[in-house]
Amino acid sequence: MLVKDVMMNLDSFPVILETVIFKEALEEMNNKKLGIACIVNQEKSLKGIITDGDIRRKLLKIQKPLSAFFVDDCIDHAILSPIVANADFTLETAVEIMRNKQIWDLPVVDNDNKLVGLLHLHPVVEALIKKQ
Amino acid sequence: MEKKIVSVGYGSVNSIQIGDKLPLVYVGGPCAIESKDHAFKMAEMIGDICRRVGIEYIYKSCYDKDCRSSPTSFHGCGIDDGLRILSDVRNEFGVPVVSDFSDPAWAEATGEVCDLVQVPAYLCRQTSILKAAAKTRKPILLKKGQFMSPWNMKNSVRKIEAAGNHQIILADRGTFFGYNMLVNDMTCFPIMAYTGYPVCFDASHSIQLPTSMGNISGGQREFIPHLVRSAVANGINLLFMETHDNPDKAFSDANTVLDIKYLENILSQAKRVHEVRLELLEKYGEDNVHPQK
Repeated sequence: MLVKDVMMNLDSFPVILETVIFKEALEEMNNKKLGIACIVNQEKSLKGIITDGDIRRKLLKIQKPLSAFFVDDCIDHAILSPIVANADFTLETAVEIMRNKQIWDLPVVDNDNKLVGLLHLHPVVEALIKKQ
Repeated sequence: MEKKIVSVGYGSVNSIQIGDKLPLVYVGGPCAIESKDHAFKMAEMIGDICRRVGIEYIYKSCYDKDCRSSPTSFHGCGIDDGLRILSDVRNEFGVPVVSDFSDPAWAEATGEVCDLVQVPAYLCRQTSILKAAAKTRKPILLKKGQFMSPWNMKNSVRKIEAAGNHQIILADRGTFFGYNMLVNDMTCFPIMAYTGYPVCFDASHSIQLPTSMGNISGGQREFIPHLVRSAVANGINLLFMETHDNPDKAFSDANTVLDIKYLENILSQAKRVHEVRLELLEKYGEDNVHPQK
């Protein structure tokens, strides 16, 4: 079974433009009930990600007022070189990456770094259990 | 972040480039347009001083002062006479002009005459005003409201950009510190400059004590030179300072407008501080203390 068989499509997880302010990125993560947002440019190239963990670390580290933090462009606080998967990876390969890096989500990109989906651990677990 | 250059001046007048490491530019004049003769007199006096100092300038004066504290205060000469006088100043002296406008319906006419259109600080987040300013297709001098944080000015910038205008200069004119009192937070310049647009310091209104005198505003103009040196050293691109040949008789902002006899001294210092700042950046490099991430 491959990543493309299980990955979430673009309208079912947070995908936001790089100039969206940080507060709206958080709202989109709430709306889609996921702890990750993928940041893209107009051409849908993946520019970075924001995760719940990054936000926790930011809140402890950043000294400026919360109101200033909220109005920053989301790209200012993104991880700019995220770990990604290819749609043709096997699920086993993707899970191995997740295990090694201790992450639950993998943005899925094509060979031109265009975002095509998101691999979330829960559907992967369900798929692998069904497969057995 | 890409640093943007704003070009002020169309047609036959002097075109002035503002931003990044370009020379400091001055914008000033009497707060309100008082008469054609007075406008010509002021434009000539300011022009002479700026030539001696070696600084480019934009002539500023407003035709309608809609934020006066008292209903009996001078409200302005009106849009028709005011724009005619500003147009005459442009033609006679070849200098770009700026006026603010307080009603979206006045934007188009203001933009037809003025080289730079100003959004008043109290109206800096009003969508209708910002859209109207954007649609003039002229550069916009956007004053930070006294009640606004510098980072929230980005929302106003985005409103203007969404309406198709990308020629913006952001100005600080002080921030409310309790009642009837303003302070200047010098961090507002790097914060607003992070938008990429040039930044401006409004020295006249920063030393204002808003409505501190019952039904008019007071001011402590003795602090103007101090704040100007600080703001210029902090990296502003445009210095805004209203000036008058007889402040006690000024129709508007008599307590804050600078007596023109002091203008040459302050502009000379401002120009030199700006040059020294650029020399220091050249010698020691750009600031490299980054925010915590």
